[in-house]
Amino acid sequence: MYLVSRLSPLLLTVLLSLLLTGCPGPSTKNGEENSESSEKSESTDDTPPEILLEPFDAPKLADLDAEVEWEKQPVLDSMDLLRERQSKEKQLISVTDALKLKNTNQEINEKILSALGRLPENDEEVNWGATINRHVLADMKSTNPIMGSSAVEFEVSSLTGFGLFSFDWNFIPFAVSDTVVSWQSSKDKLYDKVVLRDDLTWSDGVPITAHDIVFTFQTIMNPKVPVPAVRSGTDQIRWIQAYDDQTLVFFHKEALPTNVWNLNFPIIPKHIYEKELETDPTLQDSEYHVKHENNPVTGGPYELEERVRGQEIILRRRESWYMHNGKEVRKRPYFERVRLRIIQDPNTALLALKKGQIDEMALNPELWKTQTENDDFYNNCTKANGLEWVYFYFGWNCKTLFFEDKRVRQAMSYAFNHDEMLKELCYGLYQPCTGVYHETAWMSPKPMTKPYKQDLTKAENLLDDAGWIDHDGDGIRDKEFDGKIIPFQFTIMTSNRPLSLSICTLLKENLEQIGILCDVKPTEFTVMQEKSRKHQYQAMFAGWGTGTDPDTSVNLWKTDAGRNYGQYSNPEVDALFEEGRREFDKDKRAKIYGKIHQILYEDQPYTWLYFRNSFYGFNKDLRGYVFSPRGPYGYGPGFGSLWKPVSK
Amino acid sequence: MQEQSEEKSESTSQQKSVKKSPNFWAETWQRFKGRKMAMLALIYIGFLGFVAVFAPAIAGTKPVICKYKGHIYFPALGYFRRQWENPIFQKDKFRNRYPENLEKKDADSWAIWPLVYQDPYRRVYDDEWKGLPGNPTQETGSPSLRNWFGTDQRGVDVFAQMVHGTTIALLVGFVSMGIAGVIGIIVGALAGFYGKWIDMGLSRLIEVVMCIPTLILILAIIAIIDSPTIWHMMAIIGCTGWTGIARLARAEFMKLRESDFVLAAKTTGIGQFRIIFRYILPNSLAPVLVPITFGIAAAILIESGLSFLGFGAPPPNPSWGTLLNLGRQNLQMWWLIFFPGMAIFLAVLAYNLIGEGLQEASDPRLRDA
Repeated sequence: MYLVSRLSPLLLTVLLSLLLTGCPGPSTKNGEENSESSEKSESTDDTPPEILLEPFDAPKLADLDAEVEWEKQPVLDSMDLLRERQSKEKQLISVTDALKLKNTNQEINEKILSALGRLPENDEEVNWGATINRHVLADMKSTNPIMGSSAVEFEVSSLTGFGLFSFDWNFIPFAVSDTVVSWQSSKDKLYDKVVLRDDLTWSDGVPITAHDIVFTFQTIMNPKVPVPAVRSGTDQIRWIQAYDDQTLVFFHKEALPTNVWNLNFPIIPKHIYEKELETDPTLQDSEYHVKHENNPVTGGPYELEERVRGQEIILRRRESWYMHNGKEVRKRPYFERVRLRIIQDPNTALLALKKGQIDEMALNPELWKTQTENDDFYNNCTKANGLEWVYFYFGWNCKTLFFEDKRVRQAMSYAFNHDEMLKELCYGLYQPCTGVYHETAWMSPKPMTKPYKQDLTKAENLLDDAGWIDHDGDGIRDKEFDGKIIPFQFTIMTSNRPLSLSICTLLKENLEQIGILCDVKPTEFTVMQEKSRKHQYQAMFAGWGTGTDPDTSVNLWKTDAGRNYGQYSNPEVDALFEEGRREFDKDKRAKIYGKIHQILYEDQPYTWLYFRNSFYGFNKDLRGYVFSPRGPYGYGPGFGSLWKPVSK
Repeated sequence: MQEQSEEKSESTSQQKSVKKSPNFWAETWQRFKGRKMAMLALIYIGFLGFVAVFAPAIAGTKPVICKYKGHIYFPALGYFRRQWENPIFQKDKFRNRYPENLEKKDADSWAIWPLVYQDPYRRVYDDEWKGLPGNPTQETGSPSLRNWFGTDQRGVDVFAQMVHGTTIALLVGFVSMGIAGVIGIIVGALAGFYGKWIDMGLSRLIEVVMCIPTLILILAIIAIIDSPTIWHMMAIIGCTGWTGIARLARAEFMKLRESDFVLAAKTTGIGQFRIIFRYILPNSLAPVLVPITFGIAAAILIESGLSFLGFGAPPPNPSWGTLLNLGRQNLQMWWLIFFPGMAIFLAVLAYNLIGEGLQEASDPRLRDA
């Protein structure tokens, strides 16, 4: 029903920037404190080549149909999907009882979610005139969905935007029945044919057609248009051809099972933007574009009602979305208004939540553990958490003298006191992480790799084996390189957040015990990004979010890949990733990615630390929150399943 | 110095008797001693100095003195410089856990321990010290018998951090104001003594430097320098904080360069630099000392402020401001705010009292006020 923000590669893009500083997560979830950098995203910073899109002679549809063997793909309604899932799940406790509970352990958490996370039984239960006040950490820069680059922008465009595809909590992609009649893929995944519904209109009443999608694609690929983030992924599509107002064919560059993740990009109205595209390709500067920036024509369930910069963004339910020619053709969104309130400081936001000024917010573990325990919180609110596939790690730069040897990297993992970190520093709220994929993911290896435990003797032996011995007797391990004795003293780069600092300081303390000096260097976000991209660091503490397909991690591990900051290189991993993206059988793919996981576990280019769960505080009036590995909003239906009951 | 003091005393002694009057500084000291608050403040600063020097003996997890395998060692010195801790302990795999390992690896060893077995850099773990439990972490670490001032979120003892943080607090004041004093006095002396275009130029320079906001400059420099340390910070505070001192020095020099003893010195053909530094400077020092003392107080506040903002000494170096910053993130942990806050308050107050005392003691017009 809602356009879920861009998938795979883009998600990593957004997440990287966000997680390095631990600021708000991807478009669909709010992370932790620190909002400054939420607007920055590691975008396509390299100057785009002159021509991004070569002209393409699309074959006639009849020829294509004759040549290609089409396979039917699912066209679903995510709400029906969720309803079906929930009909099989038992409600463990009544809503009234659930509201009385205090969320102190996982058992209670499940009870709360089972009762309050449900969709309404029938339409009478829903307060259709309700407004939801959501919390966001920063203002958006642009209301144009293809200009989005930050969490808030994707959040807004997921509500106002119009999309063809979505995926569920298991990351299984499908076409959205709200907008799509049928979706077919060729057997080799080289082509996708989509037929749009004919009852779609923009907020100004103009029908939405296949030409809008083609136009958007060409605009995104227009090198003159400064598209910050959406281009990555979309550029993997060779061409999109509209054969009539409803029929579209996507032509991919290569036959890959991951092609489906590139299909989903935000769509803009052709009749608005084509007018001044040539005179002002920035889509922002000219008077005409400013007008549409302030009053955007949108295609999704909500439209922009008001925007007070730096304070709030108000969205209104769009009648022409669910009504067409006097008939209700789509499900009516549960909220009449969505008000996104911009509050940067998490403590201030928590006060607003307690007072009922906002209905939901992401909590950090400190707030979860220390400031949401008492009645002053439970008077108006309740809280819930869910597993999320966002992991944090120490990344070792494998091209430095210190970490080129895998034994040294393993020694680092053995030296670190994982228990102390999980139990004391992380309040026992996080799960240990052992590698790139989560235990519950289909692509994780069976049996799962075991978390490292601190073992200083093992670490010392590994370092001895690797030749890092205290030769000069000054109490610090060293090794000879080209006749020079290099002491084992390195710097670890981290964001300036308290938890990051505590974890790095713990590493420093542990390494000092075995004769290694480690300097902790709190680094500002942009500097950190710059340095990691140029590989100018020895070690860093950071986090990655998950893409929807295991193949998305290829840019972290493949030799010389864009985000392979640690310069890890293993021909076997390279080959496996290549194999995985060409394998269509899911079980075989799972084995391949499991193998990659195991190799990386053995090589320890990262010391994997923990998965950061998502923690949320909700107003007691809110229902229908369901957590996915991407938080409560980053999937289909996500935010669409939230509702407020009629007050009794 | 003697020459001018005699000059000065001559003028005062005329009214009194022929008895040789005490020199100016001794007299000032006499008057300063009479001021209770100022004296108390001076004693307090002395006490802080003592704490800073003996910090590893007050709180630490390394023995002050120990005998191990027939030799005497001072592992606690490692808190000052890592190299001063004998590498034998690293070689013998002590892993920074002395109590247990000393006993295990050499039964005949003995050790004198610091007053409080707590580390400013790390948490004390279970069974580390004679079977006692480790430090509490998170918000549960309120002040107790074992952690006098409580513990921070990581479980690190606040008392130990404050004791070891004293060094930074004192150093920041002295080093930065030392730098500021040297620059300020030289610039002020040159401007005041030579006058004319030199004065004109230097006065404008002073005004330009006054316009530079210290805090922002420090933030900018920290962003540029690859690995900023506390010394960079001190240098910047020093290099921007000398303007007040320079102005006062300039005024004093302008006044004194016209006085008789300078004229006398000039006529005897003494070099200009000797006149500036041997004749006029000691006489103008008293008024200049006052802004220096106030400057020390300000420097401590700037350091705390920077640490509070997270730009202070790199972690895990303990600093009072860093503790305050930790407390800000969790207001329930009042002990993270109260104790370091008090320490900063008292240190700043003490310097201000000393400055005030000095001003009153050295300025004849305020003498009997």
